[in-house]
Amino acid sequence: MTVAHHPQPETLMAYAAGTLDQAYTVVIATHLAMCGACRGEVAHLEDVGGAILEKEAEAKIGADALDRLLSALDGSPEEEPRPAPIKRHEGVPSPLAPYLKGGLESIEWKRKGPKAWLAELEVPANSHSRLVLLKVGAGAAMPEHGHGGHELTLILSGAYNDRFGRFAAGDLADHDDDVDHQPIAEEGEDCICLVALDAPLAFKSRLMRVLQPLTGL
Amino acid sequence: MYAASMNEAPDRGSTPVQAPQADASALLLRVAEHRDKQALSALFTLFAPKLKSMMLRLGANEALADDLVQETMLTVWRKSHLYARRKGAASTWIYTIARNLRIDHVRRLSSRPYADVEAIEIESDAPSSQQIIETNETVSRVKAALAILPKEQMEILSLSYEHDLSQTEIAEKLGLPLGTVKSRMRLAYEKLRPVLGDLQ
Repeated sequence: MTVAHHPQPETLMAYAAGTLDQAYTVVIATHLAMCGACRGEVAHLEDVGGAILEKEAEAKIGADALDRLLSALDGSPEEEPRPAPIKRHEGVPSPLAPYLKGGLESIEWKRKGPKAWLAELEVPANSHSRLVLLKVGAGAAMPEHGHGGHELTLILSGAYNDRFGRFAAGDLADHDDDVDHQPIAEEGEDCICLVALDAPLAFKSRLMRVLQPLTGL
Repeated sequence: MYAASMNEAPDRGSTPVQAPQADASALLLRVAEHRDKQALSALFTLFAPKLKSMMLRLGANEALADDLVQETMLTVWRKSHLYARRKGAASTWIYTIARNLRIDHVRRLSSRPYADVEAIEIESDAPSSQQIIETNETVSRVKAALAILPKEQMEILSLSYEHDLSQTEIAEKLGLPLGTVKSRMRLAYEKLRPVLGDLQ
């Protein structure tokens, strides 16, 4: 898979620092599953974390803390138990698998227009972001729209074109606030994207803006 | 002196931890390959005070900070076989373990996506021992580069990596537009990028 469009460096940095909200983390991790170059880049950015840990001040450790650790070892399994593998479906990278247990075929799409469908994936209740799948019919245009905050769009299948180029499976569009663009899905195949969006309110207002021309609401 | 010429570590004034970090990788490999509890104790002495300081700053109280340090070091013990396959700088690997625990316990979100990516990375390649040395050197170079980073860029990195704040939270805390936070982070990235190792 040749990936042409990658996250912005500051987005990968926030991922390495562990400060992205859950939906953004899942989208970036899914891109990383598809992009070896960005995995290497994140490993480098984690070295920044290592350097900062080395510079860290030292807090006082209780006299019994080491003994406590050593006695815990004896009751500890030799290796970290691996989390139970989640059944993966064709075309579903492992970081996305927990959110798509039935695979791409079993998604319950909600029709949002003549050639636009949406499915919301469940993220932890305290998340400040939403994770959605968006499907645009082959050849159809998404209405031109600005972004109500930080938006990450990862192409899972199919492809679209906009003024930033051609986005196919594995490509990620990392857009901010006021970027206007008009993606048009390529002919021949529906385009399915994994999208992380800001908090519910921003999402709703943006969704309304996107869907208004489609639904006439 | 002969021994001194063998050890041409650049003199970084009062930064005393360059040699111990190279040792830390060797200690981690002893834990992985020989289940060596003395090596784990030495790692605890090196890292526990720093990890605790990090957890306290994130708002953990004394007891929770102690527990998170225990859990980090216990994870080091249990997962050292994964370090032995992936290698890199010891401090970076321990940082990622602490980061993931922080996501699970402080943010109350799931660090599973990180674990999945780590598993993919381990399956895809195994760095050579040459790369271990390079990565330990990388961390030393990054520390030197951080020391001369403009103050406002270091502030953003510190709030992100050390204080666990999102870009939005940093913008709120500093009273800056989000775009300014992002561009400062980008500038810091561009300054650090040349010392981080090969472009992929």
